[in-house]
Amino acid sequence: MRRTRSRTAFRVVAGASALALMLAGCGSRDDSGRSGAGNSGTSPGITDTTLTLGITTPLSGATAGPGTCTVAGVKAYFGAKNAEGGIKFGDGKTRTVEIKALDDGYDPQKAKANYDQLKGDVFAMTAGLGTPTNRAWRQAAIADEVPQVLIMTGDPIFSDKKESPWQLGFVPKYQNEGEAMGALLATSSGQHKVAILSQNDDYGKGYVEGFKDAIKGKDNIQVVDELTYEATDTSVDAQITQLASSGADVFFNAMSITPLMISSLQKAQQLGWKPSWFLPSNTSSPGAILEPGGASAFPGVYTVSFAKAPASPAFASDEDVQTYLAALKQYGDYPDPPAFPHCQWSWMVGATLDQAFQKMKEPTRDSFMEALRSIKDYQAPLMLEGTSVDTTQDDQPAVSSVVVQKYNGRGYDTVQSFD
Amino acid sequence: MASPMVSPQQGTLSWWQRPWVRWAALVVLLVVLVVAPLQLSEFTNQTIARIGVFAVAVLGLNVVMGYTGQVSLGQIFFLGFGAYVTAYGVTNEWNIVLTFVVACVAPAVAGLLVALAAARLGGLAIAMVTIALPIVGVPLAKRLSDFTGGSEGLSTAFARAPEWSGLFDDQWQLYLVLVIGGVTYLLTRNLVRGKYGRAFAIVKGNEAVASSMGISPYRYKVLAFTIASLIGGVSGFLYMIVIQYTSPETLSFGHSINLVAAMVIGGSASIVGSILGGIYYVLVPQLTNAVDPSLTALLQGAILLAVLFVLPGGLVSLPRALTRGRRRSHASRGPVAPPTTPPSTTGSGTTAEEPETERQGHA
Repeated sequence: MRRTRSRTAFRVVAGASALALMLAGCGSRDDSGRSGAGNSGTSPGITDTTLTLGITTPLSGATAGPGTCTVAGVKAYFGAKNAEGGIKFGDGKTRTVEIKALDDGYDPQKAKANYDQLKGDVFAMTAGLGTPTNRAWRQAAIADEVPQVLIMTGDPIFSDKKESPWQLGFVPKYQNEGEAMGALLATSSGQHKVAILSQNDDYGKGYVEGFKDAIKGKDNIQVVDELTYEATDTSVDAQITQLASSGADVFFNAMSITPLMISSLQKAQQLGWKPSWFLPSNTSSPGAILEPGGASAFPGVYTVSFAKAPASPAFASDEDVQTYLAALKQYGDYPDPPAFPHCQWSWMVGATLDQAFQKMKEPTRDSFMEALRSIKDYQAPLMLEGTSVDTTQDDQPAVSSVVVQKYNGRGYDTVQSFD
Repeated sequence: MASPMVSPQQGTLSWWQRPWVRWAALVVLLVVLVVAPLQLSEFTNQTIARIGVFAVAVLGLNVVMGYTGQVSLGQIFFLGFGAYVTAYGVTNEWNIVLTFVVACVAPAVAGLLVALAAARLGGLAIAMVTIALPIVGVPLAKRLSDFTGGSEGLSTAFARAPEWSGLFDDQWQLYLVLVIGGVTYLLTRNLVRGKYGRAFAIVKGNEAVASSMGISPYRYKVLAFTIASLIGGVSGFLYMIVIQYTSPETLSFGHSINLVAAMVIGGSASIVGSILGGIYYVLVPQLTNAVDPSLTALLQGAILLAVLFVLPGGLVSLPRALTRGRRRSHASRGPVAPPTTPPSTTGSGTTAEEPETERQGHA
């Protein structure tokens, strides 16, 4: 018995060592794409005829609507360009641009997994929506020297060149939006009492910070009451009631939740409180929020924007808008008229990347970043007059200029002063 | 070995059940686990490491839900808690061993406190209490921004491969996950196959019977819940090694439901089932992404339904279902059907060494 056992043990060990040797000899692995492995010559994801871009964004779950748009716009833009034969790059070669998009469901863990999967095959990551989902792989992208550019988050860290050398945000920071609204209010010479309601996180804080900075030192503008709510709250009736009793004639509502925004508009009317409203750009959709909320009852509803709204009659015959809508249908797999501004933003991301491609001298990620950071006063298609892409300012995203607009019952008109 | 007493078993004692085969498999497996990270591509290593993280989280859930029969919908909270403690410890430059210990103990204490109250309630009431954990956890993580970084979350890249090892980061991280996860699995396996495991099973089966045997259902429920939280904390530590980022989104309630689904699909009350659950949790989103990124939710739902219809016992019951089918065809020929061995013994017996082979298969 004993002998058999020792013989068995011997056999096992011998077999295992043979296996280990076999595995070890099984070809050398390709380490060129590894973290820390220096990349000389061309970067991954680019050949003489093609370039591949990666996107990780929510395509399922609660944020799937805007997430789908972030892919559709870029796809449509480059789909149309590819059909024309491709883009002439700064190094003289003409390349077509392919998009690889993956769903992260707004889960940071999946976003990181998607990045890990894509980074070896794509030249740059772009256009993805969400603050936590982009933050999840920010440090990895820096370590791997993979561009994470023109992403859809108002988080300032992505626009800080020192903190994020391989990143660049696209949409304005929350502060930019709040500041533009405050600046408009500051043009008024009348006496104003302001009530503020904000989401208790970086989103709400950013808006309020920008707004307060812009009205600082104005004696005729006074903040009379300031409340917060949680993003998980299902009702803000109590806050609206309290703010209504403050007698404010201006209401700054930094709220990112669509149903809450509609119910606040309705609640204020029930209470007979009719202030002028300032709303963030992502919760000011005429069709989805203002109409159901009955916003025409208020003397003024203001928001900020930098993109032409395709649904607005003012732009129905605009050439940019028509090209865009046709391409979105044909190449973006997005048949309906876009329900979210992210589709337009994502189209502009495509146009901005196009600019960078035309400027980059070598087919490397370094050269691309350099080219991308040198775009100034570029009026991307669909951009409103008074706004432009400027990637040269440190601490600012690619688009930091916004214009304030006023609701006219159907869409928005740009305004210069608060009346 | 070949005594006449056991001869009726001869038919069922397949080559797989012979001890030397088992030992050989174990050694081969260990060798593969040691060598594989050096050979596989970076992304494969990262994927296996990610599977390890969630396999440990599912294992914790299995202790309380699979083995003890108490529905818990709060497992993601303990993972997130462990991840936050790790991130906080690393940011404040605590000793890494201390960080690990706190990342395990703090969720365990939280789990103990919740369980002390929740285990007094019966049946579904426990599920209701556990739902509260992620629901409270998300706003709490946003509010306590001094510790948690608010909704922007915390990033830490602490698990870099040390110079002397000569390894790449992904290899080092995978080894850490394999060692920590492996030890957790080994300890849990010993726990559920011993005295405590039997007590858990009786509590699951019938609390009145448990009481009559001198086993306090309350105490064992609290114990199972605390162990599940502790293992959740371990998975949180591993989460920070592999994903290196945590935010309130990590604690989102939806992930808790996904963990429960992963546990059921892998196989309830099974060690291998927990690993299969981790594989499901990580690979199915990748698989559906490869098919069509805009239909992931739909495809995942379809896969979930398909698995549960075909294999109600989870993926782990696949070999058992196959053997049963074969036996049935044997039995129809022979006069007497061989006695079916209770699944608790064959199940956990055969499965003990199987887990890592299956993992290799899926990686």
